Amino acid sequence: MSASAAAEAAPARDRLPRFASAIGSYVGFLPAVLLLGLCFLVPLGIIVCYSFWETVDYAVVHHWTLDNYRYFFSVSAYVSTMWATLWVAVVATALAIGLAFPFAYWLSRYVPQRFRTILLVLVIVPFWASYLLRVYSWLTILGEQGVLNRFLQWLGITNHPLGIFLYDRPAVILVLIYLYFPFGALTLYSSIERFDWNQLRAAMDLGASPLQAIFRILIPQIKPGIITAIIFVFIPILGEYLTPQIVGGTGGVMIGNLIVNFFQEAEYTRGSAIALLVAAFIVALLIIFRKSLSTKEAYGA
Amino acid sequence: MAHDVEVLSGPARVARAALNGYAVAIYIFLFAPIVLLVLFSFNANRYGTFPITGWTLEWYRAAFSDYQVHDAVATTLKVAAQVTLISAVVGTAAAFPLVRSRLPFREGIRIILILPIMIPGLLIGVSLLVLFTSTFHWQLSEETAVIGQAVYTTPFVILLVAARLQGFDRALERAAADLGANTFQRLRRVVLPLIFPAILAGALFAFTLSLDEFIITYFLIGPNNTLPIYIYTQIKFGITPEVNAVATLLLAGSLILLAVAFVLPQLVRRARRLVTSARAA
Repeated sequence: MSASAAAEAAPARDRLPRFASAIGSYVGFLPAVLLLGLCFLVPLGIIVCYSFWETVDYAVVHHWTLDNYRYFFSVSAYVSTMWATLWVAVVATALAIGLAFPFAYWLSRYVPQRFRTILLVLVIVPFWASYLLRVYSWLTILGEQGVLNRFLQWLGITNHPLGIFLYDRPAVILVLIYLYFPFGALTLYSSIERFDWNQLRAAMDLGASPLQAIFRILIPQIKPGIITAIIFVFIPILGEYLTPQIVGGTGGVMIGNLIVNFFQEAEYTRGSAIALLVAAFIVALLIIFRKSLSTKEAYGA
Repeated sequence: MAHDVEVLSGPARVARAALNGYAVAIYIFLFAPIVLLVLFSFNANRYGTFPITGWTLEWYRAAFSDYQVHDAVATTLKVAAQVTLISAVVGTAAAFPLVRSRLPFREGIRIILILPIMIPGLLIGVSLLVLFTSTFHWQLSEETAVIGQAVYTTPFVILLVAARLQGFDRALERAAADLGANTFQRLRRVVLPLIFPAILAGALFAFTLSLDEFIITYFLIGPNNTLPIYIYTQIKFGITPEVNAVATLLLAGSLILLAVAFVLPQLVRRARRLVTSARAA
C-alpha cells in the first residue's frame, strides 16, 4: 500500500502541470464557447448581415444594400427618436450620478463605519427586486388613480385626477433615475471610501472653501470611479424598452421601442439595422472606456 | 474613526444635517414605490391604490386560484431550473481556464464575457429571435427562452467563480498531488469543495436573474408565459390588486433567494469550520 502510494506520489508531482493542461486549459472553455459563440456572437453576426440585406415579399434576400440604414435616416420620426434616446440617457445618467454623489459622500464621510454596510445593503435591496416590478410600481404613484393624484386631491390643489405625470419623457427620466441610482451610488461609494479625508481638511486649512476642496481635491481623485459609474448607467439606458413602454406613452418612445416594433412586425432587416446602430455605439463606448470597466468595482465580485 | 469625533464648525454642522436629511429622502425615494406596491396588495380597494379601505387577502386568494398564474409560475420555475443548471456548469467550467491558463487575447475574451452583461437584453433577444426563427426555422418554446437567458446569466457565474478561483491557494492542490490524489480526486475533494460557495452563489444568482428576466424571454418564449410576462400582459390593462399580489409574491421570492445566495455561502463556511474543529477536538 505504502509502496504503491509512493509510486503514485512521484509522478503525481509531474502530473500537476498536466492537471493544469487538462482541467485548467481550454477544455473548460468549450461549453462557454459553444454557448456564447453560437448563441451570442453568431446571432450578432447574423444581425450585421441582415442589416445589409433586403426583405422582398416578407423573405430575406441575400442582396447587399445600405437601404435599411437609408430608410432609418430618411424617416424623421426615427431620427428624432434616436436623438431623444441619447438625450434621455444623458439627462437620466447625469441626474442619477448627480444624486448619487452627495449620497456616497454622506455615507463615507458622516456615517460611522459600523452602520455603513447595512445602509449600503439597503440601497441594493430595491435593486434586487424585479426590474419589471420596479417600473410597474411607479404606475401606482404617477397614474390617474395613483398616490400622487390622490394626495393632490386630498390637499385640495386639484379636484380631478391629473394625467400629466405619466406617459411622457419626464416620467421616463424619473423612473430611469430610480432604476439606476443604486448602481451609481455603489460605484461612487466604493471609490470615495478609499479617499483620505485629511486631504480635504488640509485643503480647507490652506484656505479652500468646502466646495472648492471637493471639486479640486476629491473629484479628480475619484474620477475613474465616476467614469465607471457613468458607463454602467448610460449604456443600459440606451437599450431601455420596458420603462418607456410602461410609463412613457407616445411622448417617451425610445430607440428600444422602435427596434421591438420592427421585429414584432417581422421587418427583420430594417430592425437589424437599428439594432446594429445601437450595438455598434455601445461596443465603441466599451472599447473607448475599457480601462474603466473594472467589473470588480461594478459587481463587487 | 477620526472624523466621528471631529469638531465641526457651524457651517460644517449645517452641511452634515442637510446631508442627513438628503439621505433620508433618498431612502424614501428608493423604498416608497415598493412598499406601496406591497401595501396595496393587502388593500380592499378595487383600484389597487389609495385610499386604504380595509385589509384583505382577497387578491392573494384570487391570484392563487387563477390558472394563468399557476401556468406562469410552473413555466417560470421550469425555465429557471434549466437556466441555473446550464449556467452553473458552463460558468464553472469556463472560470478555470480564465484564471489558470495563459490565455491569448485575455483582454478580448474578458470583453466578450462582459458583453452579454453590458449589452441590453433587447439586443440578445432580437438577435436570437432572428437566429431561431429566420435562420433555423425553429418553433419558439421554453427551450429557446432557456438558451437566451443562459447567454445572459452564464457570464455572471463565470465572474463570480473566477473571483473565487483567483484567491485559491494552489499549494493545496500540490499538497494533494504529493499525497497521491489524481486529477479527478484533486478536483472533486479539494478544489470543488473550496469554491463551492461561489458556485452556489452564482447558481442562486442565475436563478434569480432568470425569475425576473423579461425582455429576452419576451422575444423567445413563444406562446408560453413566465411570471414577468404574465404581469406585463396584465399591466397593459391598468393596475389591478391581483397583479399587486402576484408582484408582491415575486418580489418576496427573489429577495429571499438573493438573501440566501449571500448568506448561505457564509453559513456553509461556518458549518465547515465547526465540523473541522469538532473533528480536531
